[in-house]
Amino acid sequence: MRYRELLLIPLAWGHVLIQDVLVGVHSIDLDYVALRWASLGWRVYDFLLLTFAFAHGVNGLRRVLNDYIRQDSTRKAVTWLLFALWLILSLIGAMAIVGGVRSP
Amino acid sequence: MDSLKLNLLGMARYRGREGQLSFVLHRLAGLGTLLFLAVHILDTSTVYFFPSLYEDAINLYRSTPFMLGEIALVFFVIYHGVNGARIAIFDLFAPDRWNVETQRKSAVWSLVIAILIWLPAAFMMGRSLLVNNFGL
Repeated sequence: MRYRELLLIPLAWGHVLIQDVLVGVHSIDLDYVALRWASLGWRVYDFLLLTFAFAHGVNGLRRVLNDYIRQDSTRKAVTWLLFALWLILSLIGAMAIVGGVRSP
Repeated sequence: MDSLKLNLLGMARYRGREGQLSFVLHRLAGLGTLLFLAVHILDTSTVYFFPSLYEDAINLYRSTPFMLGEIALVFFVIYHGVNGARIAIFDLFAPDRWNVETQRKSAVWSLVIAILIWLPAAFMMGRSLLVNNFGL
């Protein structure tokens, strides 16, 4: 688990450096995403970021909530709810990365 | 609700100094980033599911409040990474150095390093905000 999180540092920082700092939100549009996803390498990069970062985040939220929930039954329900949230959003994101940009 | 109130009050009253402050900042940064990430997965997915809506989502991110939030978000991502790396490195390579004195110093260092990495990024994003939204 620790090793996955160490890998997340270059992945997330690289993504933030390129998209937020160097390119900027004013230069990002459908054509930009289409151009980026034209290369398989960036699709793999985004897929790794999606799976690693979101799993890490939801697991972190589960651990924070477990600090404040006293009842085992509530804890169990919250865990399943978070698992469902993680699965659904990951599937939506993965479908978009595989499907790619469609013309409006 | 009572337990939440107790926790928030306790967090404000408990004088845990550097260790507690880095714990709170680490959690806030993580939760804030997760909230954005969940929204960001959905907005980017519109390129496949509803491509005509993508421009609207991006226009929201181009507004001044969101660009200010973006600058804060970048600090959160950097701090969470630096502080997480600190914890992971001590755990993996120097578990015998988990003592109060070393951790006080390293907690402050991770904040300093995060700010130093963030400043140039904040400068460039701030400039982009001024150029694009205020015509400077």
